[in-house]
Amino acid sequence: MFVHYIDLGWRSLKRTPVVSLLMLLAIAIGIGITMTSLSVYHMMSVNPMPHKNDQLFAVQLRTMDQGVDWWTPDDLPFQLTYQDAMNLRKSPVPFRQAAMLKTGFGVKPANPDISPFIETARAADSDFFAMYEVPFAYGAPWDKAVDLQGEAVAVIGAELNQKLFGGGNNIGKDIVLDSVSYRIIGILKAWKLEPQIYDLNNGAWGQNEQLFIPFSLLPIQELKSWGNNNGWKYEEQKTYQDKLNSEVLWLQYKVELADKQAQQDYRDYLAGYIKEQQQLGRFQRDDAEGDIKNIAQWLDYRQIVSDDNKILVGLSFMFLAVCLANILSLLLAKFLKRAPEIGVRRALGASKTQVFAQHLVEVGMLGLAGGALGLVIAQLGLYLLRSGFSRYEAVAQMDLAMWLAAPTISLLACLLAGCYPAWKVCRTTPALYLKTQ
Amino acid sequence: MLTMTNISKVYRSEMVQTHALRDFNLQVNEGEFIAVTGPSGSGKTTFLNIAGMLETYTSGTYQLDDVDVGRLSDNGRAELRNQKIGFIFQGFNLIPDLNLYENVEVPLRYRGIKAAERKRRIERCLEQVGLGARAKHLPAQLSGGQQQRVAIARALAGEPRFLLADEPTGNLDSLMARQVMELLENINKDGATIIMVTHDPELARRAERNIQVVDGQICDFKLYQGGLEKQRAGAEA
Repeated sequence: MFVHYIDLGWRSLKRTPVVSLLMLLAIAIGIGITMTSLSVYHMMSVNPMPHKNDQLFAVQLRTMDQGVDWWTPDDLPFQLTYQDAMNLRKSPVPFRQAAMLKTGFGVKPANPDISPFIETARAADSDFFAMYEVPFAYGAPWDKAVDLQGEAVAVIGAELNQKLFGGGNNIGKDIVLDSVSYRIIGILKAWKLEPQIYDLNNGAWGQNEQLFIPFSLLPIQELKSWGNNNGWKYEEQKTYQDKLNSEVLWLQYKVELADKQAQQDYRDYLAGYIKEQQQLGRFQRDDAEGDIKNIAQWLDYRQIVSDDNKILVGLSFMFLAVCLANILSLLLAKFLKRAPEIGVRRALGASKTQVFAQHLVEVGMLGLAGGALGLVIAQLGLYLLRSGFSRYEAVAQMDLAMWLAAPTISLLACLLAGCYPAWKVCRTTPALYLKTQ
Repeated sequence: MLTMTNISKVYRSEMVQTHALRDFNLQVNEGEFIAVTGPSGSGKTTFLNIAGMLETYTSGTYQLDDVDVGRLSDNGRAELRNQKIGFIFQGFNLIPDLNLYENVEVPLRYRGIKAAERKRRIERCLEQVGLGARAKHLPAQLSGGQQQRVAIARALAGEPRFLLADEPTGNLDSLMARQVMELLENINKDGATIIMVTHDPELARRAERNIQVVDGQICDFKLYQGGLEKQRAGAEA
């Protein structure tokens, strides 16, 4: 019977082409606009590592002097000082932990045909790769010993490997960064982690770094920060060591905690650390404290999805509701015009349920077709966003969930709008129309 | 087979109550051909609609093949209607964008009959009404008489025990009307029970039994001689 209803629905849509087209356009435009804003929202709010949501944590410390406020709701800075990062690295509580910094180099390729170029890099502890499940094509991260003493080794991404060597296993070869030679010990597979949860200070979207070196090289190579440096008091910095000893907040610090007990233990550890530093004369404020935030909390805290985006999604759904209201009235008029035919069908044995189902199938077809056309409109909308606003390049995309959501939302929305007209027409009193036809 | 006892139907509006049927009693036996006559507004069509379960009644009891129709749900009535009753309307009531084959197929689909059986029945019924060659035509391509024959084929396809005809010749000229009447008589001879509402006294006379409805009540029973004899002969057999 379902196939028959599809046949009847198709005939009905063809019978009133203008009305059908109007309804199709209404739902398609509604879905197109809704899916455009929803896709951006979805891509922005997506947790890229939901399975590690309660294991990976960002570490924050309120270390400023009394009377110095931060601009965050809880008065906690996003980053840490070098001193604190180095101290926290000694904690035995985290299963894994990584201090890190966005930096960069001038790369001088061995191949004379390739011109030197600038490449951003990440200086991080070796746990970084396991914490963020960075996949290796060849080699492995550096040893824990390198995290302590520093060694000029590097892990490069698949793209950089292609650019420098044309791909393949190039473990053991050297890469020259700012005139210093680094031995390549690992080559990554193609990899993408968006939003870039390990460092939201320097743009949540865009390509992940293609070059990784040990964090322990920071004092040795005097690595410069290519990210944010947040100072809250005047400190004279004549040497690199001055910066390392300063209260400038410029490093990201992440920990992986195995379970709730470890989380509590780490909070206690941070509290102990604050107390210890206060006794040493640092952290001269009454409410000095540490905090950890999991991935979802961190994304929300850093307002990766702005209120504007949320409002836009709300508005687009309201627009969809207006489209549905129009569809509802068109369907009502169309279905009621067909009441005499329904009267005949009822007289010939159709139950109310069958009449209702017949009309819902027709509405469902409209919903699916509208969803498909809506997807095209949404793709156009996302393309315009990508072309017009570079910051939307990474997020004005549709993933599989959104591709499936479009026809689903369209179908459900149309069924919702079609319920009342279908119910109304299935309650037709057949006798009323049989004599008048 | 069909028994109505004290059936009444009242249409209520804010201002008035209209008694379309009152204390309507009727028993119809298997194989009868009954003509229902009466002035306009007397309740003929209301009776036919209630008999066909297209309308509910206000009070009384109605039994169709020992099933108490009053106790059935809307879906139950639709199922019973689909299985036991065929309709023929004055205005034919064919679905305009379905061809003849598809029009005849409508009640069979609702009954859930399989495609091969549907095809067999539709072809047989269209042949029976002389339109086998025009199965792919749309109703608008046929004359009024032909359309009514399609409607009859549609009613017959479900192999109903009851055929309810509401002025089936009302929109036809006399020649077409005669052809349709002959077709109904043949169907009746094949065993279907027919109740036909008509204004035409000549057609009414051709039925076995004639019921006159006035002001929502049966006012007279005229059992024609031919019908009587036929019934008696049937009883003796």
